[in-house]
Amino acid sequence: MKIDKKIIDELTKYLKEFGLTEIEYGDGNTKVKVSRSINVSSVAPSEVKKKQEIIESNGTNITSPIVGTAYLAAEPGGKKFVDVGQKIKKGQTVMIIEAMKTMNHVPSTQDGTVSKILVKDGEPVEFGQPLISIK
Amino acid sequence: MFKKILVANRGEIAVRIIRACKELNIPAVAIHSDVDANAMHVRLADESICIGSHKPQNSYLNIAAIMSAVDVTGADAVHPGYGFLSENSHFAEIVTKNKIKFIGPSAEIMKKMGDKIEAKKTAKKLGLPVIEGSEGNVKSVDEAKKISSNIGYPVLIKAAAGGGGKGMKLVRKEEELNDSLILAKQEAKKYFSDDSVYIEKYFENPRHIEVQILSDKKTTIHLGERDCSVQRKHQKLIEESPSPVLEEKVRQDLLNKTVNMISKLDYEGAGTVEYIYDKGKFFFLEMNTRIQVEHPVSEIRGGIDIVKEQIKIASKGKTSLKQSDITFRGHVIECRINAEDPSKNFQPSPGTINVCHQPSGFRTRVDGAIFQGCRITPYYDSLICKLICQGRDREEAIQRLQRSLNEFVIEGITTTIDLHKKILSHKKFINSDFDVNWLARESFY
Repeated sequence: MKIDKKIIDELTKYLKEFGLTEIEYGDGNTKVKVSRSINVSSVAPSEVKKKQEIIESNGTNITSPIVGTAYLAAEPGGKKFVDVGQKIKKGQTVMIIEAMKTMNHVPSTQDGTVSKILVKDGEPVEFGQPLISIK
Repeated sequence: MFKKILVANRGEIAVRIIRACKELNIPAVAIHSDVDANAMHVRLADESICIGSHKPQNSYLNIAAIMSAVDVTGADAVHPGYGFLSENSHFAEIVTKNKIKFIGPSAEIMKKMGDKIEAKKTAKKLGLPVIEGSEGNVKSVDEAKKISSNIGYPVLIKAAAGGGGKGMKLVRKEEELNDSLILAKQEAKKYFSDDSVYIEKYFENPRHIEVQILSDKKTTIHLGERDCSVQRKHQKLIEESPSPVLEEKVRQDLLNKTVNMISKLDYEGAGTVEYIYDKGKFFFLEMNTRIQVEHPVSEIRGGIDIVKEQIKIASKGKTSLKQSDITFRGHVIECRINAEDPSKNFQPSPGTINVCHQPSGFRTRVDGAIFQGCRITPYYDSLICKLICQGRDREEAIQRLQRSLNEFVIEGITTTIDLHKKILSHKKFINSDFDVNWLARESFY
C-alpha cells in the first residue's frame, strides 16, 4: 500500500486553517484521518502563563496530567506524599489525581526539594495546572 | 400509586428512572451536585434540587441533604438507582423511618446480603451451590492453612464486608498465606471497619453469569440469565442474554434454584444473583439488591419494564406478573460506552461532547444521559451510555450492534465505541470462546 503524503500534508494545513482537532478524508477504499491534540483548560491561557512564569522563576513545576480531584495523601487524614522542604526523587509519587473513580499517581519529573504545594487537598484541578514546584 | 418519586442518583440510571416515572404519570424529582446543574436527569425531571458540591460525599452520598430534599419537595418514595446509596442499608432504614417508601428490599435483607459471609451461608442453606471454602470468618493463619490445603491452591481471601476488589488477595502457595491474610485483614479493617475475611477456592478463568429476578415476597419470577464475561478489572463491558455457553438443562437448574432461593427470602423488588460458571458448573457469588446497569438486556429479551415493575411492586406490595407471562425472544447484547481511552490503558477521558449523534433503528436502544454540548466531568463514573441491540439470534444481534456502533458519533471525548467494534469482530467473541480474564490477555491496540 502506498500513502499519498500530499493528502496528509493538505489535510494538516486544513486542520490549522480552520482550527480543527480532527479531519477525515475518504476516496474509494482509502480513508485518511489526521488529528492533533489541543490542551483545553478552563483557565484563560494568559492567566496560566502568568502564574507559571512567577513560579517557574524560582524552580520547576510538576503539572497535572489529567483533569480531576487532587489528593495530597493516600487517605483522608493520612500522611502527605510530600511536604514543603522535603527532598524528593524523580518518579516518586507527589500527589494522586482522582478522575472517574480511578486514582492516578503523579510522579515527580526530577530530583529536587519541594518549595511549594500549589493546590489544596480535594481541590479540582485542570489539565496542565501546576501542582507543586521544586527547586 | 406514589404522588412523587425522588430519584437519588445521576447519569443514565437517573434518566432511566425518570422516564419510567413519566410513563406512570408520577412527578419525578432530580437531585444533583453543583457541577451537574445542566445534566440530562435535571433537565428531564419535573423538579430538581441542588444538594451539594461535586464531591460524592457532599451530594449523592449525603444522606442528610437527600432527606432534606425529600422533605422540601414532598416526595413519598425514593428510588436509589445503582451505586451511591443503593445498597446502603442505613439509608434504606432512615428513608423508611421517615415514612417514605424506599424502592427496593427491606434494610434487613440488604444488610444480610451485603455481608458476604452471611449471604453465602444463606445461599447454601437455600439450596444454591457455593464455592468451596471456609464456613465463616477465618481468624488464624493455622485455620487458613488447614482450609486452603483442604480445598487446594490457588485460593482467594475476601473481605466479608468487601466490594470493588478491596481486601481481596489471591494466594498461589502456602508460603504466601501468612502475609496475604494479614494484608487482607488490614485492608478490610481500613476500608470497611470490619476485619472479617473468608477463604474460597480461586477459579482461574471462569465466566460470569447472573440471574435477574423480580419478587413481591409471595411471587418470585426470573427474567432469564445474563452472561457478563467480557470484563476489565471486574468491570463489565459487554453483557448478553441468553448465555451462549449454558446447556439447556444447566440453565433450567440455575433459574429454578435462583427463584427458589429468592422466594424464601421475603424479598421485595428487583434483584440479581451472580454466579461463577466453570466447566459446566455454577456457584453462587453474591446478590445485588438493586437495579443493575445491564438490566435492559433482560427487559428487551423478556418484554418487561423492570424499573416500572420496581415502582409498582413498591407501591402496591404485589406484582401482577406470573412466570408464564414472560416469553423470551431472540438474543440481546449490551455494550457499555465509557468515557475512557482504551488505547491508553483506559485512561479517563472527561471533556465536553461537542458533536453527538446516537444510533437508532429497528431493535436498537440507547440508554444514556448525553447530548450535544454536555460536559462529562471527572468526578463520577465513566459510563456515559449503553447501546443495546436485539437480534433473532446472536449473529444478528452482533451485526446490528456493529451497524449501530458505526452510526454512533461522539466527538470531544474518547470512548469505548472503537474498542467495542474490535471486540465484536474478534473471532473469540464471535465463537463465545472467552472468560472474565480474556480482555486482559488480548491486545486490541
